[in-house]
Amino acid sequence: MNLVEVHNLTKSFKRHFWSETKKVIDELSFDIPSGVITGFLGANGAGKTTTMKCVLGLIFPDSGDITYFGKKSLTTEIKKKIGFLPEQPYFYSYLTGVEFLKFYGEISTKLTRRDLLLRIDYLLKKVDLYHAKDKALRQYSKGMLQKIGFAQALIHEPELLILDEPLSGLDPDGRHYLNELIKETAKEGRSVFFSSHLLHDTEKLCENLVILKDGRLFYQGPTRNILDNLNAKYRISFLRGHQQETIFVNNQDEIQSHLKDLLSQDCIIEEVEQDRITLEEYFVKNVLEKKNEAGLDHS
Amino acid sequence: MKPVWIIAKNTYREIIRDRIIYALFVFAIIMVGAALALGQLSFSEQARISANFGMAAIHISAIIIAIFVGSSLVSKEIDKKTILSILTRPLSRLQFLLGKSLGLILIILTVIVGLSFIQAFVFWGLKVPITPAFFVSIYGILLESLVLLGIALMFSTFSSSFLVVSFTIGIFLIGHWVENLNFLAKKSSSELFSIFAKLSVYGFPNLEKFNWRDVVLYNDDLRLDEIVMSTLYGLGWWILFLFLTMMFFRKKDFA
Repeated sequence: MNLVEVHNLTKSFKRHFWSETKKVIDELSFDIPSGVITGFLGANGAGKTTTMKCVLGLIFPDSGDITYFGKKSLTTEIKKKIGFLPEQPYFYSYLTGVEFLKFYGEISTKLTRRDLLLRIDYLLKKVDLYHAKDKALRQYSKGMLQKIGFAQALIHEPELLILDEPLSGLDPDGRHYLNELIKETAKEGRSVFFSSHLLHDTEKLCENLVILKDGRLFYQGPTRNILDNLNAKYRISFLRGHQQETIFVNNQDEIQSHLKDLLSQDCIIEEVEQDRITLEEYFVKNVLEKKNEAGLDHS
Repeated sequence: MKPVWIIAKNTYREIIRDRIIYALFVFAIIMVGAALALGQLSFSEQARISANFGMAAIHISAIIIAIFVGSSLVSKEIDKKTILSILTRPLSRLQFLLGKSLGLILIILTVIVGLSFIQAFVFWGLKVPITPAFFVSIYGILLESLVLLGIALMFSTFSSSFLVVSFTIGIFLIGHWVENLNFLAKKSSSELFSIFAKLSVYGFPNLEKFNWRDVVLYNDDLRLDEIVMSTLYGLGWWILFLFLTMMFFRKKDFA
């Protein structure tokens, strides 16, 4: 089942009244499936944030339509099912952590005051900010803001969590913590749709990918599919006497026949492993390189 | 209406924590102090001077908040991008605008009530009777602030804060000169000026309709129908500006 279905979305922008119109998204169609973590990838300027904002009703597309939970419009009832963390943690800096979550909780839920305070306590502990709950947000570090932003996105227990670059600008410790939070959230049964430039993290987290290129859909499907399709090679490591050797084979049949031969030669099989490329390697080769060949700068 | 009230409460808290209100209270207290000091020069005129300065302080304070805070009310949310997480919540854009407006109206009300207490205390000290005219003139200031807030809010949906302040101050000045412009238009032989003046009369709110401060100063009579008509006039303009604001805001992209 798909929570969100995007059909033929197109959006153009004009920087100034007199400047030329630039198409940022072009006939884009993709789905956000239920129950999985979906990564949203694309080079800078590919249209990721614009697409997310269209889905969230912050930007109005020129054409195309979006279906939410089977409904054609983004009503307040639908909004209750969606949580959002914007790209940069832009929040009300004069509020304390508790006040901030209370404000978002009061707008988004019908919880009683007592239940809302219990939910806030639970979330503050979950994102490891309970110690800073009475500090103003202006005193929070980038990582802390990202965590409290994550908590506000979860305050109303949404079915779908949309995160725009949640891992950017965080130190490795902060990234690891947020990765774990995203995984936990998915385990709770929520669907997550998030954009990121950090492909290593995306590869580890996402079962599903949507990749944009120049505002158009480049790939949608399971993460494994794009990596497996490109990886026909397997690596067999073994010991011949005291000498360690490696051979590469292309398919399962070859593995079986090589293993038989090696065992008959009294070799000790150490490891048989699929020699995968990483998502980063795939991305650079397929999404970025072709743009660079065309002379476009995506630094 | 719950989201409107929550946004209003947060806006109120934001402005209070911005400390702009404290600066206005200090300004108003200085004005009242100056009024008392000047009043010493002439015993018979002390009450009139005090009333004059006091009402001016309340008027200026309310107008400053309506124009300057009103101009950044929505644009600050857009510039700081806090609007991104708010508008994805279960509330409509109209509810957001109404909440922001209500929050600022409550601030203006707080300032007006606070300064009115100070002024009433001064009157009490000077043994000047506090008449219904005093409250009516305060009410007039509130109506004028409401209209100016509507103007500032409308401009702030598509313009920078500097331009919003400039436009709103421009309309504030025209609004107080509309009656004079109308009078001059009738006397003028220039057709161009006459057209401009007539456009001003119908195209801009006549803010003098809310000016009942002289009634306090000179103990003039106030007619109830005049107050009712001015109230409807002020609310009419406010609703018109809110409608125009919503028209601009309804389909605005937050890129």
